Amino acid sequence: MNYYLLANIIVCIFAFVGFVYGAMQFFRHGKALYGQMITFALLCVVIGRIFNIARILSGVNFIGSFQLGTLGIIGSFMFFYTSNYGTLDSIVDDGTKEFLKYRLIAMVAPVVVIGLYFPLFFLGDVTKIWKVQGAVLLFFMALCSYFHLKHLVITDVEFGVIKNLRPYNLLALLYMMSSIAECYAMSRNNSVMTLVSTCFSAVFLVLMIPLISRGLKKSFKRKRNG
Amino acid sequence: MDSNMIYILFICIFVPIMVSVPLIEKSSRDITIYILIGIVAALFISEVNGMMLKLFDNDILYVTTTITPVTEEIIKAFPVLFYVFLFPASRRKLLSISFALGIGFALFENTYILISNVESVSLGWALIRGFSTALMHGLCTAAVGYGMAYVRLKKKLALPGTFSLLITAIIYHGVFNIFVQTESMKYFGFLLPSVTYMPFLIYIIIKNKKTKTEVEGKSISLVTKK
Repeated sequence: MNYYLLANIIVCIFAFVGFVYGAMQFFRHGKALYGQMITFALLCVVIGRIFNIARILSGVNFIGSFQLGTLGIIGSFMFFYTSNYGTLDSIVDDGTKEFLKYRLIAMVAPVVVIGLYFPLFFLGDVTKIWKVQGAVLLFFMALCSYFHLKHLVITDVEFGVIKNLRPYNLLALLYMMSSIAECYAMSRNNSVMTLVSTCFSAVFLVLMIPLISRGLKKSFKRKRNG
Repeated sequence: MDSNMIYILFICIFVPIMVSVPLIEKSSRDITIYILIGIVAALFISEVNGMMLKLFDNDILYVTTTITPVTEEIIKAFPVLFYVFLFPASRRKLLSISFALGIGFALFENTYILISNVESVSLGWALIRGFSTALMHGLCTAAVGYGMAYVRLKKKLALPGTFSLLITAIIYHGVFNIFVQTESMKYFGFLLPSVTYMPFLIYIIIKNKKTKTEVEGKSISLVTKK
């Protein structure tokens, strides 16, 4: 059994379930753009994984060269980044000194992610393509991690939207870690570790939409009740 | 075949449409111009793809499934970006012009492939190319156009959002290419664009009907008030 194929099928199915649920929840008139972005992120994961599955089935060397499937992971992180930076962050942080403390704390996440690049990819015994791919992947993860950590530690705003979305932000950080583990395993050609890390990614992805949906519903309920 | 055939073909298709532009009604003119731009983009990309093939030692499968989706989608996105910054346009208009660009691109690509393989093409080939490739190019560019619609609406969303959608379009394009080039999966490739297009079509038809009913309802109530 090809573990890489199995790993991609598992993530693809779980992300697809999340995407369908997200489409039903958020693609209606007046629904939050935030949720739509996360749904798009799941779609990006699904398409990326379909590419990987097709690539493996067509019998091409999957590990040794750059594949578009990697862009699926980058795309999902870009959607997470867009949702936080483009829709939520301006409500949470007005750019004043009051929130400087939280901004500095949040900087820890990208520093850690970029710091991980050196032992995992740059100094590790990996091919050149993985050194480059690892750098690109971790760069986008670093961008995204700043907002996830910030929204995890920052004080709540009206109607408790930040508090209600904390479980999702924690889950997104966990998904980031499992994605780093997957890339690490793939760069070392370790199929068992790839399978284990993708199983975690699959679970994190499928839980995202229910957590966001519940968080946003709670906030809207509080808003309605005044 | 004459090495200048691609330019001969370009003139034969481009010039008749170009001379008709001043006579076309203003509302349809932008669409026609963007079909023309799609044709120019296809000609340009044929040169770029030729260079890419040389760069990757004529590995056609790798280049067509991994490199050309990236180059084609990026080049198709530029004219849409140009439109966004020059003209204030609604999201619907941007979707229309970006879809038109994709269709113009596919029109030229299909015709060139037809001329190059004139002895082996069939009616089935024409139907498949018409419904699959044309729709795929149209959908990919329309997805990017959808993201760019936010440039004027919400600046913070525009750049990361468009980039994320561009990544999604690139992977989708790659999935299509890998499907149609793998013998055992080619039928999935032929169906993929139609399966993606149908929900959008149904959604637009339902939305149009709803808008029409609402407008009719409003005008009836106005008449009754009078």
